[in-house]
Amino acid sequence: MWEATTDGRRLKFHLTGINNQNFIMEDEETGTWWQQVSGEAIHGALKGRRLNGVFHDELTFATWKRERPRGRVLRPSEDNDAWRKFSERWEEQTAKMPVVAQADARDKLAPRAVVMGVALNGAAKAYPLESIERQSPIVDKVGGAPLVVVLGEDKKSVRAFETTVDGRELEFYVKADAGAWRMFDGETRSEWDFTGRALSGALAGRQLKKIPLLKDYWFDWKLYNPQTAVYAFNTP
Amino acid sequence: MNKKTTRRLLWLALVAVVVGAFAWVFVPVWTIQPFKAQTSEGLNLSYTLRSWSRVVTLGALALAALLVVLLWREARWWMKAALVLLLVPVVTVTWFARQNHFEWMFKPLERSAYVAADKVDFVGDEEMVLAVEVNGDAVAYPIRQLAYHHVVEDTVGGLPVVSTY
Repeated sequence: MWEATTDGRRLKFHLTGINNQNFIMEDEETGTWWQQVSGEAIHGALKGRRLNGVFHDELTFATWKRERPRGRVLRPSEDNDAWRKFSERWEEQTAKMPVVAQADARDKLAPRAVVMGVALNGAAKAYPLESIERQSPIVDKVGGAPLVVVLGEDKKSVRAFETTVDGRELEFYVKADAGAWRMFDGETRSEWDFTGRALSGALAGRQLKKIPLLKDYWFDWKLYNPQTAVYAFNTP
Repeated sequence: MNKKTTRRLLWLALVAVVVGAFAWVFVPVWTIQPFKAQTSEGLNLSYTLRSWSRVVTLGALALAALLVVLLWREARWWMKAALVLLLVPVVTVTWFARQNHFEWMFKPLERSAYVAADKVDFVGDEEMVLAVEVNGDAVAYPIRQLAYHHVVEDTVGGLPVVSTY
């Protein structure tokens, strides 16, 4: 998700092409080509510029609805039915498609392995979704910043939070027994919900800073973050 | 130069214009294929060609039409047929240069409309959405729609945004 402006001018974008399986969009105002995943202008009058990212979450509809009951939802187009024919299994089908980027034999991840990518303080790290599903919460550090990657109660939504509060590094664990899903920090035993807000305990009312996550295929994440680290499976 | 030579040159020029116009439009289409790898240079060339393709094809069409007119009168019937056939690709690429063939496959969302969360009946609870909130304005874009349309324009909490997936 990007801010659709540059130099205070609103830009209107259209799908215009594809570049190594990530699409290119063109703005009507200048005809510049922008890379979808990086927000960078790769050709045209505004070449070299970058769009500002807007923080977003990828959640199940149920989770989002619970958190934002008064929100609004994009309605499907009534002008054409084409999107309906776009299979419900599009993700499954895409996952089977070939990858054109050169695979590195040393990669432990398959090109279409799904990862949640974190770029923080100049460093990048990819967390395989599979690892998150098995090991949530994952306590880690990227670019020197301590963080936690958590899988929500719905087992599909993922969020990442910075875990430094008042200069203290907190360590989180999850309890999902009776009642709603909750996170607890080891230091104060405060209770936190999936939005990163402390509901009770010494830190009640505090909000953890959300870290932008990008859900991507490994081959694409790596292409745009060539120095990326990968969270390794440490299951005994 | 005698008339025969002139005519030959005109024919040659016509073929060159047709082939040139076709290549001008076809090279970017060939380069920017979904299951092919792209290089920076390939994209650079494609960008340049596409930027000029409306002007170039129109110019090629005008030039081709002129050449056909010049060659028409003293052409035999089968040459006339050939002249007409040669115009077909030029007309086609002139039209194609004004299309966005990617949007044939993925129609853009012309006017986006929204429904209050509690009134939604077109998204399943387990379906993934892209969720944004700016200045208290909370919006969810179902991923399946984004994956199809690729680009959705909106203004969230006063901020102009474009959702992409």
